[in-house]
Amino acid sequence: MTELQVRCATCGADILLPENLRTADCPYCGSSSVVDRPPSVDRPLPTFALGFVIDQARAQSIARQWAKSRGPFSHGGIRRAVADRTLGVYVPAWLYGARAGAQWSARIGEDYTVTETYVTTDAKGRPVTRTRTRTETEWRPLSGLWDAYIIDVVVTASKGIDNDALESIEPFDLRALRRYRPEFLSGWTAEEATLSRAQCLAQAREESQAEVYERVKAFLPGDRQRDLRCEVSLEDEVADLVLLPVWVFTLRYAEGKPPLRLLINGQTGRAVGHVPLSAPRIAFALLLGLGLIAFLLLAFGVGDLW
Amino acid sequence: MVSTPCKRCGSPLEDGDLRCPICALVLPEREGTVRADEPSVRVMRCQGCGAAVRYSAEVQGLRCAFCGEVMRIEEVVDPPEHTAAYLPFTVEGERARAALRSWLGSRGWFRPPDLRKRAELASLRPLWWVGWVFDARAKVSWTCDSDAGANRADWAPHSGQFILSCEEAAISASRGLTTEEAETLFPSYDLRTAGEAPGAVEGALGPPIVEEFDVQRSQARRRLLAAIDRVAESRVREYAPGSRLRNVHVVCLLHGFESRGLAFPAWVLAYRYREQLYRVVISGQGETTILGKAPWSLPRILLAIFFGIVALLLLLGLGGLATGALAF
Repeated sequence: MTELQVRCATCGADILLPENLRTADCPYCGSSSVVDRPPSVDRPLPTFALGFVIDQARAQSIARQWAKSRGPFSHGGIRRAVADRTLGVYVPAWLYGARAGAQWSARIGEDYTVTETYVTTDAKGRPVTRTRTRTETEWRPLSGLWDAYIIDVVVTASKGIDNDALESIEPFDLRALRRYRPEFLSGWTAEEATLSRAQCLAQAREESQAEVYERVKAFLPGDRQRDLRCEVSLEDEVADLVLLPVWVFTLRYAEGKPPLRLLINGQTGRAVGHVPLSAPRIAFALLLGLGLIAFLLLAFGVGDLW
Repeated sequence: MVSTPCKRCGSPLEDGDLRCPICALVLPEREGTVRADEPSVRVMRCQGCGAAVRYSAEVQGLRCAFCGEVMRIEEVVDPPEHTAAYLPFTVEGERARAALRSWLGSRGWFRPPDLRKRAELASLRPLWWVGWVFDARAKVSWTCDSDAGANRADWAPHSGQFILSCEEAAISASRGLTTEEAETLFPSYDLRTAGEAPGAVEGALGPPIVEEFDVQRSQARRRLLAAIDRVAESRVREYAPGSRLRNVHVVCLLHGFESRGLAFPAWVLAYRYREQLYRVVISGQGETTILGKAPWSLPRILLAIFFGIVALLLLLGLGGLATGALAF
């Protein structure tokens, strides 16, 4: 990774700044600098930023609470995990929108009831004729058009926090969106877009098509629906780079194990981390379960079958 | 204050909007953004003491750790919705009283016969209640079930698209009036009479009540979009075949939308009849639009039931006699 050499505007010391960062803290005087680079297609100037709402103390408390509330099968060390590193990061993401059109076809099911007579036997074994109602579905083909705006599809532009990880801590409240100012970044770590624009737009289109499919599905009439086919077109696209606030915790929970990464939405406090499971605990629970089943079988006389 | 419509969908954009609330098209920044030609470094400094400052999540701005100075960056603009214009009262207090008397006298036979005579006016207050009037143009995609083409099931599915063009549609934002009251009053107003300030009111028994919108701009927009969906849903009936519909779904692609927050004049009256208070609302621009509550006459209702039963018995008796005569 190429590094950029910048001069601290406070003490004049030289700072080496990795290519993927927009901010630097001077190791000599502690001043926070924000770097402006000439924008390019893949690394444009951010259009919007969402400021951090959760401060460090609150993020630490959320992380502690998260670690304590893990399930019984998670690794025992999680509850005593120690934060190795705590970082408030502005993660770059694309905010995508388009005018979506869909040409759809589906089979629509309309329910109706039929009354039928049948012959059965009564308590004394005599044949009797009775009636009952049954729900049937009449299936009909239907096709049509659907047009709407798709807005606020968020896809990551960072190699560090992939799209699944970002989605796991969504949603962000985009009503609090503000036009990007370097002031937001002062004192925080801010990443540059590290994924290409084309790569991100492809991801955004994929997500938009999935969203259109779900919305068309909810748009269908009838009592039930099947075989939905949707040909989606996305036109008049807009994509703007936004910086999203994310707390990144690196938790050390056991010797010799790689640390665990916990992400916290810096606006809403939603915390998500991949929890390692404890094999001995799962094995113990399985053994206990099997023992209990064996005991119940023996206690209720199923053993006689043997 | 409306500045310019969105270039993409035609929706109105207001001061402080960063992007179109309908289609999310970003507005260009007013002052030109300075773009670096080569990498440069910036340190944010306190305007008070000159120390380097950091963004604080707590204050949502820059805060100096040395002197405590807080520097705001850019506030999120979501102001309360405001009233753009007021419609004047063209019905003065005296005419409202007369309209009430006339209304009380025309309530029908099941009301007390002395209602008009014994009802005493307890209050007569002018009210400016608030609502939005909007024009919208949209491509509407719809689906529904209807009885047209039904076979074994009672319903058959249908779909289609149409262009919605609605002008001067209205929705209420009033806390004082119910939705039904507002919907009844809307057609009585002449929107061309709207002026900048509430005008004078003659013949009131109390100071006028001037309602304000109690929603933020973003919430107002959500309510307006929901209202457009409701209008579109009601228009599906014109395009879908059949006489009965269910499961009506609509999706609107807006390509033109304007709205105004207006204050509408109404007289709110209360009258007392036998110690009980009843409320009546009269349009401030047409005394024939009047709605409210009036007491029922229990003796008259019982009398009508009695005569109804007697008439039924007579009919049954006559029917029985006729059947007997035929049998005989």
